[in-house]
Amino acid sequence: MGKLFSSPKLLAIAIAAVAALLVSVAGGALGASFGLGFLGGPIPFISVPAERVVLLGSYPLLNSTIMFWFAGLILVFVAWRATRKMSDVPTGLQNLLESVYQFFDGTADGVAGGKPKSGRRFLPLITTIFLVVLMSNWVGVLPGVGSIGRVETIEEWVEHHAEGLVGEVEEDHPGYNAEQVEVIALVRLLEEAGNETFVVFDGVFVPLGRGEQARAPLNTIISYTPADLLAIERAVEAGEDPANIEALESIHHDLEAGVVKVPYTFDEGGKNESSYNFVGQRAGLLVPYLRGASTDINTTLAIAIVAMFTVQIWGFRALGVRGYGGKFVVNPFKKGPIATFVGVLEGFGELTRMVSFTFRLFGNMFAGEILLISMAFLLPLVGIIPFIGLELFVGIIQAFIFAMLTLVFGVMAVASHGDHDSHAEDH
Amino acid sequence: MDALGITLQQLLTQLVSFLILFFLLYKLAYGPIVGMLDSRSQKIKESLEAAETARLEAASSAEKVEAEIASAHQDGQKIVAEARDAASKFREQEQGRAREEVETMLERARTEIAREKVAAIEEVRKEFAGLAVTAAERIVEGTLDAKAHSTLIDRVLEEGLSARKN
Repeated sequence: MGKLFSSPKLLAIAIAAVAALLVSVAGGALGASFGLGFLGGPIPFISVPAERVVLLGSYPLLNSTIMFWFAGLILVFVAWRATRKMSDVPTGLQNLLESVYQFFDGTADGVAGGKPKSGRRFLPLITTIFLVVLMSNWVGVLPGVGSIGRVETIEEWVEHHAEGLVGEVEEDHPGYNAEQVEVIALVRLLEEAGNETFVVFDGVFVPLGRGEQARAPLNTIISYTPADLLAIERAVEAGEDPANIEALESIHHDLEAGVVKVPYTFDEGGKNESSYNFVGQRAGLLVPYLRGASTDINTTLAIAIVAMFTVQIWGFRALGVRGYGGKFVVNPFKKGPIATFVGVLEGFGELTRMVSFTFRLFGNMFAGEILLISMAFLLPLVGIIPFIGLELFVGIIQAFIFAMLTLVFGVMAVASHGDHDSHAEDH
Repeated sequence: MDALGITLQQLLTQLVSFLILFFLLYKLAYGPIVGMLDSRSQKIKESLEAAETARLEAASSAEKVEAEIASAHQDGQKIVAEARDAASKFREQEQGRAREEVETMLERARTEIAREKVAAIEEVRKEFAGLAVTAAERIVEGTLDAKAHSTLIDRVLEEGLSARKN
């Protein structure tokens, strides 16, 4: 402490840090309850599926795919730079990549039995998994990922979600034509989603207000009553042309406008109600252009599929079709029904491993993303810094776990079971 | 599935992307780097072996050099000893010869001296005899017969010589 006060430089840094912390606390959600909260945004909206950025023909390009490709590009560039001019005395990137490969080479040899080069067959896949997962995790921490995006209008949101209900409606009303189905799907969506909230924007894209007050429920943007919806449903049932239904027309009109129509209220802590008057402001949702690649379950599932599929290939190549297949398919008349049951369980085990791979990585990275968003909401400016460090750490740990588990499963697959004496003659 | 956002389209996209990435990384990173690691460990092994053989060679050659130095040392000492022997022998020989020479020279000188002495005495006697005769002649001229008194004179001379000798 004495040192701190004797050095003006250190003192200045300490004061700046404390000031930044105070500003971040006052500017965040905590400060908002005292009428401050000048840095806070609206309550973050968290979507488990990756969002569509743009429709290329009929292919929806998702924000997580963009980041996955970006992560891949970084890896390819690094690999190219590292191996372009290789030298016996490694420097820079070559040194970095060599360390990674050497580490996994040694680890694979150790896990696979300790002899040099005994883990070589696993090496290409596990190093690739490590690098790809690591980069997919780390690109999610980059600034701008998850926070810069376009505004999805109410109309787009309703259309998108009504599409998901079309199948359900078709099942319930097999006689309806496409137009009628569309209307019923819309009605059902409005029935369910009346309390979905949307961010109210000031002008083009800056969210208006902070915290909950910046989120307008759907039924304050589109004016309808349950009776209106019932009337539309009846009219469709009666075979009326949807274009002539008055209530529907007004709903479509509101959708197109996409602005807040009436002041809305929030129940704050069950006691005091606050009402917010943002009538006439545009509402919508933020669709981030970029999203961490491993926060999309498709990415983690794809890597898990490749990993477990390759593990099966290793098993078949090492033990033969009968040797490896004999782990899963056991003749109940030769070995007894319990052995058969165990074999089936082994087969399910492989599937379970794939699922656990998928959800372990997805869960960890998605939780990290939410943590960062929440911290940016609660403690903007500096509160997020330690959590970014934490996320970088979690990213490398998860990549390592994915690679190591693939290695361990691979070693288990190529090891012949000692208690299965039957495949001794199969080799 | 829908709530989690799993779609076949997206899954296939990520699957194909991952496989392409795998292929690219295999070609760009795995192949060259593992090749480099292997070639380097091979090189290190070879150079360690080479160093070992070089070390052994150096050790054996050092031994050889030491043995050679030792034998050279021995040779040198032998040569020095021989030279010393030869030198002392030579010196002795030379000393002996010199002594002999000196001796003979002394001998010769002594005999010469002796002979010279005898000759000188003879000469002196002859001279003295003549001188005595002449002196006697002058003293006793006429009275003395040279021939009759020569015996006496001889005796006197004889006595004189013996007296000087004593």
